[in-house]
Amino acid sequence: MKTQLRINQPDLKGEGTGSPSNQEALVQMRGITKRFPGVVANDGIDLDLYPGEIHSLLGENGAGKTTLLNILSGIHQPDEGTISVRNEVVHFKSPHDALEHGIGTVYQHFALVPNLSVAENVILGLNTAWILDLKGAERRIQRTMEKFGLTIDPHLQVQYLSLGQQQRVEIVKVLFRKPKILLLDEPTSVLTPSEVGELFRMVKQLRAEGVGVVFITHKLHEVLELSDRITILRNGQRIGAVTPEELANQTHEEISNHIVQLMFGGVPEEETEGTYAPRVSEEIVLTLEGITILDSQGVAAVRNLSLELRAGEILGIAGVGGSGQKELLEAIAGQLPVAQGNIRLGERLGEIDLTNKGVPFAMKMGIAYITDDRIGEGIITDLSVAENSVIRRIDKRPMSRWMLLRWQAIFDFANSLIGAFDIKVPSPQILAGTLSGGNIQKLLLARELSADPTVLMCNQPTHGLDVKTAQFVWKTLREQASMGAAILLISSDLDELLKLSNRVGVMYNGELLEVLSIEAADRETVGRLMLGERS
Amino acid sequence: MNEMGWTERLRPYISLMFAIIASFTVGAFLLWILGINPLRAYQVLFEAGLGKLGITQTLIKMTPLLMISAGLMIVLSAGIWNLGEDGQFLIGAILVGVAAPIINAYLPKIPALLILGMIGFLGGAAWAIIPAVLRIWYGLNEIITTIMTDYLAIYLTSWLVKGPFRDPSVIPPQTPVIPLVRRIPQIWGGVHIGLIIGVVAVLGVHFLMRNSTIGWKILVVGKSIKTAVHTGIPVARLSMMAFLLSAGFAGLAGANGVLGVKGLFQGDWNPAYGFTAFALVYMARFKGGTVIFLAYFFSFLLLGGQMMSLRLGTPVFFVTILEGLMLIFFVVNEYLFQHVLERRRS
Repeated sequence: MKTQLRINQPDLKGEGTGSPSNQEALVQMRGITKRFPGVVANDGIDLDLYPGEIHSLLGENGAGKTTLLNILSGIHQPDEGTISVRNEVVHFKSPHDALEHGIGTVYQHFALVPNLSVAENVILGLNTAWILDLKGAERRIQRTMEKFGLTIDPHLQVQYLSLGQQQRVEIVKVLFRKPKILLLDEPTSVLTPSEVGELFRMVKQLRAEGVGVVFITHKLHEVLELSDRITILRNGQRIGAVTPEELANQTHEEISNHIVQLMFGGVPEEETEGTYAPRVSEEIVLTLEGITILDSQGVAAVRNLSLELRAGEILGIAGVGGSGQKELLEAIAGQLPVAQGNIRLGERLGEIDLTNKGVPFAMKMGIAYITDDRIGEGIITDLSVAENSVIRRIDKRPMSRWMLLRWQAIFDFANSLIGAFDIKVPSPQILAGTLSGGNIQKLLLARELSADPTVLMCNQPTHGLDVKTAQFVWKTLREQASMGAAILLISSDLDELLKLSNRVGVMYNGELLEVLSIEAADRETVGRLMLGERS
Repeated sequence: MNEMGWTERLRPYISLMFAIIASFTVGAFLLWILGINPLRAYQVLFEAGLGKLGITQTLIKMTPLLMISAGLMIVLSAGIWNLGEDGQFLIGAILVGVAAPIINAYLPKIPALLILGMIGFLGGAAWAIIPAVLRIWYGLNEIITTIMTDYLAIYLTSWLVKGPFRDPSVIPPQTPVIPLVRRIPQIWGGVHIGLIIGVVAVLGVHFLMRNSTIGWKILVVGKSIKTAVHTGIPVARLSMMAFLLSAGFAGLAGANGVLGVKGLFQGDWNPAYGFTAFALVYMARFKGGTVIFLAYFFSFLLLGGQMMSLRLGTPVFFVTILEGLMLIFFVVNEYLFQHVLERRRS
């Protein structure tokens, strides 16, 4: 306890990296280099973490943040460089070794067993005794959660929890092991604003107890709110840092300009509102009438929802995760049956009934759907980029003829998409699973848009992407709209929704509460509706 | 269709060779425990397969393995574990045994053979309908249901051949003997056209799985049902197709057994090719050429094993132990390779 008290005094903090200090660093990474086939993911990176400090890692997608974190958490072993934990040089062979040294990690992708309870998930892998004391464990878990103001019933099966709750289980799992060092990889990307607040309170509490936290995010305002120290990576190299002193003495605006400068070599061009003139026509492209969708448990995920979508408009759907947005898109795409109501397409050619007609029919009628589950549902990781690019059109010429695939045509098609969407891949024969998140999203965008959709549906189109790729996605969506496509956009990023949409609908608990014009949709109004408060 | 380094390309073959050598080494140890000179035993084993008789017998034995493997290459690619090959084989075989005399009475040789082959194929496929429906529409584990239907088939055929389907003119329970002239045309010393059909089936399946739209879509279903649903690939229809095709190939192998080798369906007949075919398809990593090589090699072992037990009194199941060991070592090798490669990368 004594050391922790001393640690919390800010004047004892070291200056910059590697500077001598009377305070012992928790972690010192020196000259970390990690190569993967074809890329240097980390190139001689130094990183210091002090007790009671939140250290943010910033960088574009593919800048090497996650790799660096994975090295510190024992998943990867560095090719060069050393890691010391409390001045002791360590070589982690596995995440278990890292855990033994007090390093706990909350990964971007959860590792929970869906049909085990919260408590069972938390104690999984803790081999403290021969006899399973689930009751005692539940009590201790409850205590851990109470201490950090977290609330989840430890008896619940994990598969019934929302993503935000699942993340809390992951966090509890780590906290339960009493880490001295906590690594968080994009923890806020699945959270609602209030959940983010809760997370931040907890992280600050850990900081006050002397835990060192490494925090990865794409959101600048989060970094500024939370960080004591910031390291900026670019192309695998550490290109700059913001020290505690700078954070204390400069305004947020100065710092954010500085960071953006470092990350992108220039302030990203803000599109002026004038360049994008929405041309919403009066033509209704898609009509939903009183649809109800049941989930796999037979509970209504979407209730009596009606909606009209016009050509050339972007209709944003806001809502807390799991309010039925995904089911809505899946039903329109033909993946999920509609229990009640109907889905109709178009006025131009007379109305076409889309209700429960299946995916191939919806595809033929010009419905395109970019899923949020890019890796699990969007692509096949161990097929090539080329094969993934033609997956929806494999039966069409020239991809196949007489039921035989024509590889040359497939590669040509893939190459044309790679060129048009600037997908970073050395060859279309590379496995799609080796691409970065941003490039996978570009691949999906390319694949769905190549069918010239009349209705384009996107779920979390920029989730986890760097600013540059996100801007590319935004630009592409706007172009599609201005060319007459009707776009249904779901995003947990409210700023994104408000920036792109012509109208914003808010879903709450399976219902579409209201559809606002963009003028009427400000953050507070939408946010209140998201929490289920009708104005 | 993916770019790989040469180590990646050679890996399955190296790991296969290692598995074979390691299993023979452990096998030698087991023989030594039994008090049999391993060198002498292996000498007998290998001698049996050489020479004209050895080669023709091996080729005859490998034919049903090839047909069953062709089916397994499809169904395993779809991510479905049809382990009911033996039952599907028997149902195909007994139907052919019963139908042959009737069809032979009305049709000339070649059309009769074609129709009988079809009967074997469809009979095998029909036997898989229940497990297939249970798996595809009700989510029941097909490993359990196909093993259960295997036992059903064994006892059902055994009862049928002793009861309703029995040829009353002879004493042992069996279907009427098909005259030699009405059997599958031979190529060379007992080796018949079935072998060619088997080889063509394996190579054809290998090619079509990677180069036809349907084969490729089955592959997609096997790799990710979620992605298949998302992209409008008919998962249920393709799974059903893969399941029934594989069962059909097993039934065809049954027809081959009756029409090409035995000439009848005998009581309590169960050659149980399923496990061997399963092992070799996995060890060949679904590659047609390697499947053919391994089918030959395993048949060669089977023959040698019989010779060994005849001459040296080794247990008849000794070669089955060798096969099992090979599969285990193959899996271990795969794991080690993965590990070593990752080490070298990091």
